[in-house]
Amino acid sequence: MTFNLLTCVLLLASTPALEPNPAKTAVLRIDPQQPFDWKAERRACEGCPRRSVGRALFQTTMINVFYEAANLIRGQVTARITPATWWDNMAQGWVWDLDDFVVNQVGHPYQGNNYFTSGRANGLSFYESAALTAFGSGTWEYYGETNFPSVNDFINTTLGGIALGEMFYRAAWLVRDTRATGRGRLWREIGATALDPVTGYNRFRTGDAKRITDKPADMVPSTLAGLASVGVLWRGSETRAIDAAGQPFLEMDLLYGDPQTGQSRTPYDAFGVRLRFGGGSSFSEARVRGRLLGQPLGSGKMQFTVMQSYDFQKNDAYATGAQSFEAAVGMTQPLSSRTNVWLMGWGGLTVLGAVDSLPLGITERPEEPEEPDAGQGVSEGPRFYDYGPGATFGGLAYFSRDRHLVAAFFYEGRHLYSLDGVRANHFLQRVRLDLLLPLRGSFGFGVSGEYFFRQSFYQDADRTQVEYRYPQFRTYFTWSIE
Amino acid sequence: VSRRLRAELCCGLLLAWLAPSVVAAQSAPPAAPTVPPDEAAEASRWWLVAGGTFATVRGDCQTCEEDFPYRHAGGVLANVGYRVNDRMDVGGELYWMPTDTAQGRILTTHIDAVAQFRPWASQGFFVKGGTGMAYVRNWVDAIGPDPINSKAWSVVIGGGWAFRPAARVGLQVFGAQHVAALGDLQTAEEDIPDVVGNFWTLGVAIVIR
Repeated sequence: MTFNLLTCVLLLASTPALEPNPAKTAVLRIDPQQPFDWKAERRACEGCPRRSVGRALFQTTMINVFYEAANLIRGQVTARITPATWWDNMAQGWVWDLDDFVVNQVGHPYQGNNYFTSGRANGLSFYESAALTAFGSGTWEYYGETNFPSVNDFINTTLGGIALGEMFYRAAWLVRDTRATGRGRLWREIGATALDPVTGYNRFRTGDAKRITDKPADMVPSTLAGLASVGVLWRGSETRAIDAAGQPFLEMDLLYGDPQTGQSRTPYDAFGVRLRFGGGSSFSEARVRGRLLGQPLGSGKMQFTVMQSYDFQKNDAYATGAQSFEAAVGMTQPLSSRTNVWLMGWGGLTVLGAVDSLPLGITERPEEPEEPDAGQGVSEGPRFYDYGPGATFGGLAYFSRDRHLVAAFFYEGRHLYSLDGVRANHFLQRVRLDLLLPLRGSFGFGVSGEYFFRQSFYQDADRTQVEYRYPQFRTYFTWSIE
Repeated sequence: VSRRLRAELCCGLLLAWLAPSVVAAQSAPPAAPTVPPDEAAEASRWWLVAGGTFATVRGDCQTCEEDFPYRHAGGVLANVGYRVNDRMDVGGELYWMPTDTAQGRILTTHIDAVAQFRPWASQGFFVKGGTGMAYVRNWVDAIGPDPINSKAWSVVIGGGWAFRPAARVGLQVFGAQHVAALGDLQTAEEDIPDVVGNFWTLGVAIVIR
């Protein structure tokens, strides 16, 4: 909803279409077949966006203005900024905030994705856009709200924004067909704009949405695979058996590029993304793993990879989120002429993670009392989740037969040292096994078992240790694209 | 002196001034190596920064009612790292700041992984950011002569201007904000929860690439 609104506002704010300046009008009246001097326009390739650092900075600032105006229209008192609130924020410095879990772990990364794509849409590289994301996030925290600047928001917006931003930017390029014309071309451009509003806006503004070119070479993945799963999920907890009433879900996996082989210095030329809707909450899972560096080891049988990852899970049983960097070693091993297994293990650092948490002695989250003093948009707590850095490690094994995935095993362990919230060391472990049976064509059937095991080591006088166990079971139909 | 003599002297001076004279060019200085800046920088992939800072520090906590003071002190900052390209450097940062108070001394050391980036390759403007750990040695509220040691999560953001950004040796002026999120701050009387220290820094440093 937010990105659609953002797209509308950006399109409405597109002054060149109304501008009588003949030079600008000439830019918009593009003959699609007419070649143009793309080097003179400071483009890295014919289909690449025009490079402009100044415009990227301006658009990032305008994105902040947009979010600020939207909050003001919604009546949030935190949007009533003045130079005095700016000075107060600068004088206070960074604090931890008390906002809702989804706002901090999804809302802020999505906003950061807009900053990032404003860089990419103006011809900046991945790392340049990453710096721009930090700029947008920092200026938002200090000058976009009356709230004191929040260090957890800064990290989530910047790192989450980079991961989501490059993922959405590349996904939108999958939708575009820059060789097409007519209505089909227009709808593809609109679809891509829904995924990446800032790039879409820039393409309509500059006329790139009509121009016939090749796609930028680095926006064409070496391979592409997708899997959509629709089914029912049953979840239990440490206090009750598996719930008889299942929860419907839709899960989508996309594997962009080949993360298993090859030397790579192009960030996110290979990435995996998983989104799940339903299954305990309307939006229950988002995982993005993007390759920053890939290097074959030895004879090339092993592959070393450095990855950036974004994680979010929220359902009716637990909530976790993290921004991490991981190093992985993987290999592909043929088991027979038709069967292969891809093995990978990783370890890394969690820059900032979040996990739901209740104070010791409380087993149910209490009803939050009405806050008569607090204005809309002001979070005064208490906040029922902890923040902290930590470490992560894990492994996977994917079995494929005739290039179709038939079994997938996944394990992940994550340690979080709580710096804000209930003081504890949280150790989260998650294991999942999927078995898939091809039915007909690209359709299939799958079953999945998952076990989430959490230990919290509280730093109270008694050194209390609490364990939580959440088994899950799923059945689902699949539709795969390759 | 007669008018005629004065006229002759003036003419003589004028002629002497206008007279051709033997001139010699100054000896040319030794030819500077005509190496483009990029090539000069290619010679090394190191990124070294060392300098001094002036900083203001303030500690605060989420549930504290009192208004904590701002304290001022000098500090030292150093970077060691790798020049990725002519716009970006990555590496480690050490920032050390001793703060003297009436109650005792606080030594803070930030060790961060940082990335520094110049949006315009031909200009000196740069921004940087990073994260890591901070170590706090605190003699305030300590029992006895030994300090209380605390570890913290550290975040740093900053920006500045590098003079001679493409040269081997340059100078930079910068501003930065370091954050140390301590969690619990241990004192002699009690543990104070959710403590965050903010360090606003202005500094000058020598840069070697």
